[in-house]
Amino acid sequence: MATAPATLPEGPAPAVAPGAPGPRRVVLLGNPNVGKSALFNALTGLRATVSNYPGTTVEIYRGRLLGTETEVVDSPGLNSILPLSEDERVTWDLVRQARAEGGAVVVQVADAKNLRRALLLTLQLGQLEVPTVLVLNMSDEARERGIRIDAAGLEAALGVPVRATVATRGLGVDEVTSALTSARVPRNHIPMSEDVAGPALQLLADGETPPGAVPAFLSRYHEALLAHAGEIAGRFATDAEPRGRAFSRHLGRIAVHPAWGWPVLAAVLWGLYEVVGVFGAGTLVDLVETGLFHGYVNPWVTSLFAVVPWAAARDLFVGEYGLITMGLSYGLAIVLPIVATFFTAFALLEDSGYLPRLAVMTDRIFRVMGLNGKAVLPMVLGLGCDTMATLTTRILPTRKERLLAMLLLALGVPCSAQLGVILAMLAAVPVSAAAVWFVAVAGVMVAVGWLAARLLPGERGDFVVELPPMRLPSLGNVLSKTAARVEWYLKEALPLFLLGTFVLFVLDRARLLDSIIRAGQPLVTGVLGLPAEASAAFLIGFLRRDFAATRLFDMSRGGGLDVVQLVVAMVTITLFIPCIANVFMIAKERGWRTAAAIAAFIFPLAFAVGGLVRVVMLGLGFGGI
Amino acid sequence: MTTLPLAAGSDAVTCALCGFEYVPGGDSCREHGCPVAFGTCATRHCPRCGYAVPDERRSLTARLVRRLLGRRPPAAAGTLAELPAGRHGVVARLEGDPGLLARLTAQGFAPGVAVHLVQRTPTFVVELGETTIAVEQRVAEAIVLDDTASR
Repeated sequence: MATAPATLPEGPAPAVAPGAPGPRRVVLLGNPNVGKSALFNALTGLRATVSNYPGTTVEIYRGRLLGTETEVVDSPGLNSILPLSEDERVTWDLVRQARAEGGAVVVQVADAKNLRRALLLTLQLGQLEVPTVLVLNMSDEARERGIRIDAAGLEAALGVPVRATVATRGLGVDEVTSALTSARVPRNHIPMSEDVAGPALQLLADGETPPGAVPAFLSRYHEALLAHAGEIAGRFATDAEPRGRAFSRHLGRIAVHPAWGWPVLAAVLWGLYEVVGVFGAGTLVDLVETGLFHGYVNPWVTSLFAVVPWAAARDLFVGEYGLITMGLSYGLAIVLPIVATFFTAFALLEDSGYLPRLAVMTDRIFRVMGLNGKAVLPMVLGLGCDTMATLTTRILPTRKERLLAMLLLALGVPCSAQLGVILAMLAAVPVSAAAVWFVAVAGVMVAVGWLAARLLPGERGDFVVELPPMRLPSLGNVLSKTAARVEWYLKEALPLFLLGTFVLFVLDRARLLDSIIRAGQPLVTGVLGLPAEASAAFLIGFLRRDFAATRLFDMSRGGGLDVVQLVVAMVTITLFIPCIANVFMIAKERGWRTAAAIAAFIFPLAFAVGGLVRVVMLGLGFGGI
Repeated sequence: MTTLPLAAGSDAVTCALCGFEYVPGGDSCREHGCPVAFGTCATRHCPRCGYAVPDERRSLTARLVRRLLGRRPPAAAGTLAELPAGRHGVVARLEGDPGLLARLTAQGFAPGVAVHLVQRTPTFVVELGETTIAVEQRVAEAIVLDDTASR
């Protein structure tokens, strides 16, 4: 259909012959925050990431329709089929794939309260000639708001099956499943001037939006679709009453209020600190590390290995740099509890709808660094895992912003494992010394961001963020999402912990560790003023900085570091690149040259800032503490 | 809305009852048989239906009452960036970079769509129907409002 007319002939055949077993693939699609992932869970019985932040679902979730072989694919939310950013391209590719192959059906999930916006997509699906089922989700909320939708009339007008659901409670889901076999191409008689319809249909047919510049007719195309969608919505849905869900509405407004928004932000950060810093890194780590590992696991494993006659093999597992006593112990006893509590807290924030509001509150701060409030999502997620966060920089619209966000993540955002260790260490020093760490790290981030924003070519994207209604997160979603992320994290981190331990073990056996510690002495002792053994920590810091931080934590607990040394060590290790996986991720997203440049910039900077902090702290009289 | 070609566009007002647009003044008061139709009366009558509204430009009391009730007098709107917080408007057109316009229209911004500006800082927060969207100043400047329909 290279030169498709403005209106295509209607009455296409159903995607699947009546009586056939059903489509081979179902693609879920819809605007952000309409409950796609909830419907996905209900259809497949499998849990996917249910997110409240537009653009979080960068990954695609797949599952099988309950009791069948039909594949169900969940896609990131979008407002127009034609992609305007990298993450929207994912859905576009899925739809085109579904269109190209036979037996695939699109289930468009719509917010029943917002029919006009949803119908824009339905009309586009019609122009793409994709067999569709329209699902009016959250129909309970619509009813509460006094919205009445004539589903039968809508069905007749659009020519596709229309079903109402409340996906979170599983209502109407069976009806969606049985409607799959009668999916049709939505009617596509859309009044549109020829100079808009021509290029728009061409764009839909070609499947490629021109890189960079967005064609000028696109907004007029959207306007024409909206006008027609509004007309259909007006015919079959009554208007909402302005009241209803008052509490959620008020909460949502308070969270972005020019004055009240700040206490809310402070409360959220305090809550995050209490959960991750105090409970996770304190209580839980104590329980698991001191109680479980030091009390039971390590002595038991050591006694188990006592029968092994070779000292080398014994040390490999249970020695000073033992895979179990150091690698697993750090990974499972210290890092895991912290990561798990952080991801739980993050999932709660995500599903409550607070994160986009955080973007509103922090927009000004990020603008100094050449970004906008949207960057807060990768940054906050970076507090969980920088590597994962590097992947989500895709939600940022311009190349420059993605690069800036990656640089800042790699430079200064401590991941939860490291943050937990840092918070635990900082608890041992005076508040003023802890403040030095924060000022140093935040100052370097802002300074580097400000400079890089001016040096890097390109533009900052526009700040346009949808604020979903505030909702009470569902416990099941939060827990399953946390479990999925912790699993991802363990797969990423544990092998590196073991590898790092193994490297140290080999270096130690080969008597190289001492020479490396000696070689690092001018830098570590001379510049940073740390004990020579800290070299070993920084060495493994190249693999994972939280591993290094944990090592330093161990040293400080033994009384090996004074206040200045502790803060200097923390600042330096915080500014290290998070881990080797992060470097790989940057290379994957932006190429090896960028990754190498970022690494070559960050490591010297980390030591330089560490040295500077030492001089400043000694000058301020912290040395006497 | 009935739209008539008006010579003095800036003085034109819309009748809140019947939607008729007219320029206040003239003899419509007397024609409708108003008992207080003398001199500097601070109410205006729609020439079509006779509905009376206070002329806030002439009456301090009307302005005070309006302020006490928390409803401000209508103002010329311009772009969304110039609309005071808490006010409603209707989109007249979008102006700016094609990429931004494509994004805004996909979000539902289009001529004729009613918007409600919730707040202006830290960023603009605007409601269109059931959708709430946060935008920055330069995006708000791209959304031109219909002067006559703002309230």
